Amino acid sequence: MKFSTIKFELNGKPVEIEVPPAMRLLDILRETFKLTGTKEGCGIGECGACTVLLNGQAVASCLLLAGQLEGTKITTIEGLVHDERMNLLQRNFLECGAVQCGFCTPGMLLSAYALLQKDARPTTDDIKNAIAGNLCRCTGYKQIIQAIQKSTESLSDPDQ
Amino acid sequence: MIQDIDFYRPGSLEELLTFLKDHGSNVKIIAGGTDIVPGLRQKASRFSHVKTLADIQHLHELKTIEISDGHLSIGSCATFSQIEANALIRKHFPLLSCAAGLIGSTQIRNRATIAGNVVNNAPCADSVPPLLVYDAIVCVRSHREDYTVPLNELLLKPYQTRLNADEVLTGFRLPVLADGYRGEFYKLGRRRGVSISRISLAVLMQLQGGSIQDFRVASGAITPVSVRLSGIEEYARDRKAGSELFAQLAQQLGNEIIKITGMRWSTPYKLPVVQQMFYQILMKLNDESVTG
Repeated sequence: MKFSTIKFELNGKPVEIEVPPAMRLLDILRETFKLTGTKEGCGIGECGACTVLLNGQAVASCLLLAGQLEGTKITTIEGLVHDERMNLLQRNFLECGAVQCGFCTPGMLLSAYALLQKDARPTTDDIKNAIAGNLCRCTGYKQIIQAIQKSTESLSDPDQ
Repeated sequence: MIQDIDFYRPGSLEELLTFLKDHGSNVKIIAGGTDIVPGLRQKASRFSHVKTLADIQHLHELKTIEISDGHLSIGSCATFSQIEANALIRKHFPLLSCAAGLIGSTQIRNRATIAGNVVNNAPCADSVPPLLVYDAIVCVRSHREDYTVPLNELLLKPYQTRLNADEVLTGFRLPVLADGYRGEFYKLGRRRGVSISRISLAVLMQLQGGSIQDFRVASGAITPVSVRLSGIEEYARDRKAGSELFAQLAQQLGNEIIKITGMRWSTPYKLPVVQQMFYQILMKLNDESVTG
């Protein structure tokens, strides 16, 4: 097995790893860095459980290979632990009952976060479109959409 | 686990062309990787020869979208998120931005590129029918020559194009349409979001005084490779627009598709849908141009 040296930024810190260039980002995160908040669902880019941010955009980490990471900025759910906007989303997910088994939650939160970073006041359709690539099989989407909506309203409400 | 593969990251397009000259036959160019990565993991036979992936996503010269000399140029590595949001494409090539927005999910559109969609040449590739009705020209480069070729001539058969192993698709050129065109991109999948097209159609119609000046239609997913249906296009030209003609065209569309694909198990399901949707699209476009 051939190995390559890959340099990129992970959760705000520069990292350098020695891995096979066809190793998936998903496996690098979970196995090399033990960041297990990123989940594997389908492995073919359909379910969104492995969503991370690449240069601020939501992407499927199961479809990214180590060789494609050079010079990129990767953010996982762990990297936003102290982020105000992420904390607000998390609180609203809890309050709205948008978490049942929790497997889809990290990916769902990151898709919602990427949307709000781009557009602080999205419409319901924008929200649905942004999370169309995140499958949830137990909570139901209604609570999730409500939680994201609530996060947009409170963000733009100066009294909160 | 994916087979043992090397990564090559060219510093420029020229570097890549030289690399392809020496190693082309075992190299696959990768940009977004949304087709290649699952394909490699599933050990798809079309990737079994691949020893090296040449990553071109970081080459900025391949990402530009601009209009000059009456043509829109789209770089090969423009992502579908970029294409969907681009104001020039929205204004002048709305079928393409519509199709771009219906591909996969946000996560896929943020990575997947227009050239990847075309080179992969899946029958269901959503960007291909719009590109065909817009008469897209493909720009190709190699260490030997630079040339352009109409898109329809590049598409060989499902998952195969005429590109040689040492050639790179660098972008597309689309002539800006004259006034008076209306069109629609229609996609039917098993569900609304994140779906693979079972049927897709791109239709463009130019009307003048109630008669059809120009008519263009391209199929997706219902034929092995997306094609312009030139028989129908020629029949429609210079005829009076209206329900009578549109019903005839819908009938002909069904016949054309059967001629290309033969009768399949799915034909009795798909054919009435294609014909009905085609008819409805034409009626809608006609109504819109009457009401302005």
